[in-house]
Order: sequence, then structure tokens, then C-alpha cells
Amino acid sequence: MAMYSRPALDLTFHALADGTRRSMIHALAKGETRSAGELGRQFRSAQPTISKHLKVLEEAGIVERKVEGRVHQFRLRRKGLEQAGRWIGRHQAFWEGAVDQLDRLLAEGTSDDRR
Amino acid sequence: MIGDKSCAEIRRRLAHSPERVFAAFASADLVQRWLTPSPEIRLSVLQFDFREGGSYRFAYHVQGTTTVIVAGSFSVIKPPSKIVFSWVIEPPDEHAGIQSEVSVAIRPERTGSELVIRHEKLGRADAIERHATGWRGAVDHLTELLAPEEQHVR
Repeated sequence: MAMYSRPALDLTFHALADGTRRSMIHALAKGETRSAGELGRQFRSAQPTISKHLKVLEEAGIVERKVEGRVHQFRLRRKGLEQAGRWIGRHQAFWEGAVDQLDRLLAEGTSDDRR
Repeated sequence: MIGDKSCAEIRRRLAHSPERVFAAFASADLVQRWLTPSPEIRLSVLQFDFREGGSYRFAYHVQGTTTVIVAGSFSVIKPPSKIVFSWVIEPPDEHAGIQSEVSVAIRPERTGSELVIRHEKLGRADAIERHATGWRGAVDHLTELLAPEEQHVR
């Protein structure tokens, strides 16, 4: 699991580090399915560019692809972002707790410079 | 819990001078007494060389079950206002090996100080450098997606 999860997280953050890909995620955020062609028209990009972005998102597990004949349909996988969210949340909780304890420690310490 | 921040960020007013808040980060004895997420998680400081370029290594003991080791080095130390250090969890942990960075800013206030801790670069370091401008927005979008019910507030 540990061996698997870091590369997965790397892929997620790499996928999120591009403005067009973030907009594509946004376009799919309501859960609807869109074809590669529809996404290409929306972002006014050449189809190969769109395909490349979709491939990065797919490899990161952020979108899933369904092939219907010649049409490739894409949908957001919310699970694909959960691990990244947990990682950020873990540190948020860590520091909230630590600063609470720092505050207590300073309060009980010697009041040499208390104003 | 993630809120609308682009990274993990804590901002807190403390009733103590910047010098005293800074001192709490500057010695192994003091760090050991507070730098854990809760009193149930005990910290042993294995190494603590508090100077620019110096390294630290912390062991977090989670109630008799697991020990999580965090290590890094100090890149900026400016008493009493700024400390920056890298933060890497060692294996075997779900998030082992990710190069992240913690920036501590301590600003004087009329009655004490304001402490701001930002935990950044939560993705792979080289990816962040390549896409420095995309980073902030990336996590904004991520948090929107994780908390869609908050979208209308934004």
C-alpha cells in the first residue's frame, strides 16, 4: 500500500498542476458524462491536446473513460481526489492540534515576558 | 476541515511575544512538549540541529501501536520571525516519501504575536517547481471538488 500510494499521489498532483486540466475537472464536476469531442469544443483546443490531457487525468484516476463505438466518454471519479484530500487534511489536523498544545505550553510556562 | 485554503494553513493569535513563540520551535526540549497533534501522541526528538542546513528527526508514538517517523532539515531560520523546514514522513506510512515544506511566520502584534504555519508543497517537489503557478489553484479546485456543497458560497 505504501509503495502504491506515493506514485498515485504524485500522479494526482501532477494532473492538478495544469490549468486546462483543472478546468476540465471543473467541467465534469457535476458528475455528467462528456465526450472528448464536446470537451475539445468547450476548451477550443486541438483534439490531440485534449486527448493528452484526458490521458493524464485518466492515469491519475481522476476521470474514467468509457468507449462507445468511436466515441470516448469521460466522467469524473471523485475517489480519485480523495487521497490527496486526506493528505492535506491530515496536516491541517496535525497543526491545529500542535498549535493548541503550543498555546497551553506557553500559558503554563514562566511568564518572563508576559505583557 | 480543509476549508478554502490552498494548503494546510493555521493562523493563530498568541498572548506571547514573538521571542517566546520562536523559542518554542528552537529547542528539542520544548518542541518535544508540544509539536504533536494531540497529547495521546507522544513525540521523541531523535535528532535536532536547529540551524540553517541542520536536520531533525521526530518519532511520533501513537498509543502503543505504531510509530511514525518524520524527518527534514531547516532551510531558513530568522529569529524571531521565520522558520522554514522540509517535512518528509518515512516508510512505512501511507504518505511516506513525499517532500513537503513547512513555513512558520511569527509576527508581532500589540498584545503578543500572530503565528502562521503553512504546510506546502504537498505534492512531489519537482512537479511543483515545474508548475509553480498552477499549484495554488490546483488545490483550490481540489477542495471545491471535495466540498461541493460549499461552492455556492464562493
